[in-house]
Amino acid sequence: MSPEGGYHKKILHVDLTECKTHVETVSDEFALKYIGGRGWGARLVWEHMKDDVNPLGPDNIIVIAPGPLSGLYLPAAGKTSFCSISPATGIYGDSNLGGMFGVELRMAGFDAAIIKGKAPELSYLWIDDDDVQIKSAVKYMNMGSIETEHQLREDIGDETVKVATIGPAGENMVKMACITADWGRNAGRTGMGAVLGSKNLKAIAIRGTKDLPVADLPSLTRISDKAFKKLKQHNLFEFWQRQGLMSVIDYANASGIIPTHNFMDAHFDKAEEINGDVMELNYKIGDSACYSCPMACSNVNLVKDGKYAGTVIEGPEYETAAMFGSNVGISDFDAILRANYLCDEYGVDTISSGSLISVMIEAYEKGMVSLEDLDGVALKWGDDDAIMDLIRKIALREGVGDTLADGVYGVIKRWPQLAPLISHVKGLEQSAYDARIAITMALGYATSDIGAHHARAWPIAKELEMGGNWSLEEKADLVIYHQTVRPLFDMLGVCRLPWIELGFDENTYAEFYSAATGIEFTLDELLKRSDAVYNLTRAINIRLGLSRVDDKPPERVFNDPIKTGPHAGKALNREEFERILDIYYQRRGWDNDGIPTNETLKENGLEDVIEYMEQRRAGK
Amino acid sequence: MRKKLTVIPERCSGCRVCELVCAISHTGVNNPKKANIRVISLYPHPVIKMPIVCEQCKKPKCRDACPTDAIVKNDGVVTILEDRCVSCHACVNACPIGAIFVHEDIEIPFKCDMCGGKPKCAESCPKKAILYVPEHTQGQAHRLGAALKYANMQEVEYYEHGVKKKLRYAEIETGGTRGDSE
Ligand code: SF4
Ligand code: SF4
Repeated sequence: MSPEGGYHKKILHVDLTECKTHVETVSDEFALKYIGGRGWGARLVWEHMKDDVNPLGPDNIIVIAPGPLSGLYLPAAGKTSFCSISPATGIYGDSNLGGMFGVELRMAGFDAAIIKGKAPELSYLWIDDDDVQIKSAVKYMNMGSIETEHQLREDIGDETVKVATIGPAGENMVKMACITADWGRNAGRTGMGAVLGSKNLKAIAIRGTKDLPVADLPSLTRISDKAFKKLKQHNLFEFWQRQGLMSVIDYANASGIIPTHNFMDAHFDKAEEINGDVMELNYKIGDSACYSCPMACSNVNLVKDGKYAGTVIEGPEYETAAMFGSNVGISDFDAILRANYLCDEYGVDTISSGSLISVMIEAYEKGMVSLEDLDGVALKWGDDDAIMDLIRKIALREGVGDTLADGVYGVIKRWPQLAPLISHVKGLEQSAYDARIAITMALGYATSDIGAHHARAWPIAKELEMGGNWSLEEKADLVIYHQTVRPLFDMLGVCRLPWIELGFDENTYAEFYSAATGIEFTLDELLKRSDAVYNLTRAINIRLGLSRVDDKPPERVFNDPIKTGPHAGKALNREEFERILDIYYQRRGWDNDGIPTNETLKENGLEDVIEYMEQRRAGK
Repeated sequence: MRKKLTVIPERCSGCRVCELVCAISHTGVNNPKKANIRVISLYPHPVIKMPIVCEQCKKPKCRDACPTDAIVKNDGVVTILEDRCVSCHACVNACPIGAIFVHEDIEIPFKCDMCGGKPKCAESCPKKAILYVPEHTQGQAHRLGAALKYANMQEVEYYEHGVKKKLRYAEIETGGTRGDSE
């Protein structure tokens, strides 16, 4: 089977140590088997990684991978994944961003890029169609992400150039550093910005002018025209354009799952002061969308008066508003916007930094760290000045910020007593959905290949909707289904929101993919490939030393019942969790230690992975 | 009654659906850089998104600039005649709003032809930022907008690197219903 479209079948290789680039032509088999995006990314990481890889060493690679549907005429075709070994967790990590950046890479003629090595001085990569150069970025040292993007464009002299960049945090190898593109869109999780920083790569600028290959453009257009129409008719469509993900604040608070005061509680009295209506009525000055997306879920907001007046930022969305709102006790939307702006400009993930800052507030409140540990600044819930200052300190690695910049494991190493306060899985701070009332959410976090991130599985709404009467088997299946369908979107290079939020039929994606490649695919076939990639990232993690004991939700979920709100008094039951984990492994085709069995790997076409898993089983 | 394309930049989200549908229907390839409409996004403070589309001027500067008379106006549409065009790009430089485009793969400059009276961009824009309206109402939206803006214009003062700056913005339409979702 040879695809007639969907792919250029070209990967750009960049070796920063050697200052060399070359183009690899990939086989049809590789292209179709791993689909693209994080599927390709995971496979390339598997192939290039060493067992003793140092995530911040020159040997680690980072793969930039939009997908075969990125850039095509279909709803929300603008996602790009960055895949690597994460410096935050030490295992497989990836993160994606929407917007125009990945589309431009595809228009330059590449389906993906692999970056390895380390440049002798701070550099940026300039991809002008086929012309690829590594150039000095010394001039942009310590410059903020938004400013760098703007400055680079101006220096190149073309407003249409797309730029992905890191801020000072990335340069300082802060383990929660992001990669930022399109004025504040972030690949935030797992410290991908630190990986670029370790390579001395400040930015990647791209100008692409090529046609994207599509096998059957008339059919693709026909299916897409219908898809756009359908989305526009949805009764929440217009609401989505207006509030985007900020509408989730009300939902999360009403459902009792909003992170509050470092996840001690799951209900915030002042949620109404930081919700979508507040944003829409008082701050919003414009809409913003990813490439080819009708939903335009991003909001451009402006602080109009007070001490943060003049702050303009594309954002926040739910996660940021919750992590820098309820979770640190801030009920002032001005301050949330400011925190969002600072994180974007410094290049720091809002979920991870919001989480660790809240840990420090709780720790200080409970007398578990001293004033000296905090450089003499007494921390309080809702103290925006101190919180803004901490963001800066993390990015610049100053004082206590230097420890926080080393992520969960850095904090635990210095203050072991804080371990029970940190909500994380495998070193990745938990996203802004509490898991104490939903065992599926806890299982999703616990078994996610990158750590406690909601984008791999978000079964919580379904579980709340279904109520109590369904079996652990059904619940495990729901998590597995999520972990299969959601990564598929990252593999195709599109956004999942039209599917989740506007009830868009996932079968349509098989139609898009078939029209793009010219080969008939069903959704089932695509899901099988997605499942194989999940097993592959599992194998990467097992190769790096992960085992069953690491598949556990944050301790707080068992130990500290929710205090207020609709689910006050609830916590998860540890034995029940172990039971569902057994069921989950069994249904996944993994053994009792969480290692994929040989049969499972064979079924997934991952024969070459078997040997490594055998070694692990033998205890090597 | 003659109709014209008009844009409301305040509504534009920068999604580029307009560019995509234009390019696909005119050139048969998936490449927004071959579109007859272009959305300019300017990033510094604050974001500006501005779709640029040919105004089909009554007295087209592009036509006046053309040394080979390759540009003509028929039925309200300014057209570049391929066989007469020598690709000197005089029109590209002459258009006051930059509505004529070039691309390496395409020999002659290209511009909006109004899709024979059913402009795809206006039909597809998910934000209703591009309108296809009778000529006499053109400007109405802007007039209304200008009046509203005048009434609702606000100013904020702020400091950037210690320097006092001013930013003007217009209050936009708002409203509020609820929905639940991730
Ligand atoms: S389709 Fe509409 S909203 Fe999207 S870029 Fe074009 S004008 Fe702007
Ligand atoms: S191309 Fe420019 S000058 Fe020519 S008609 Fe259009 S807007 Fe006027």
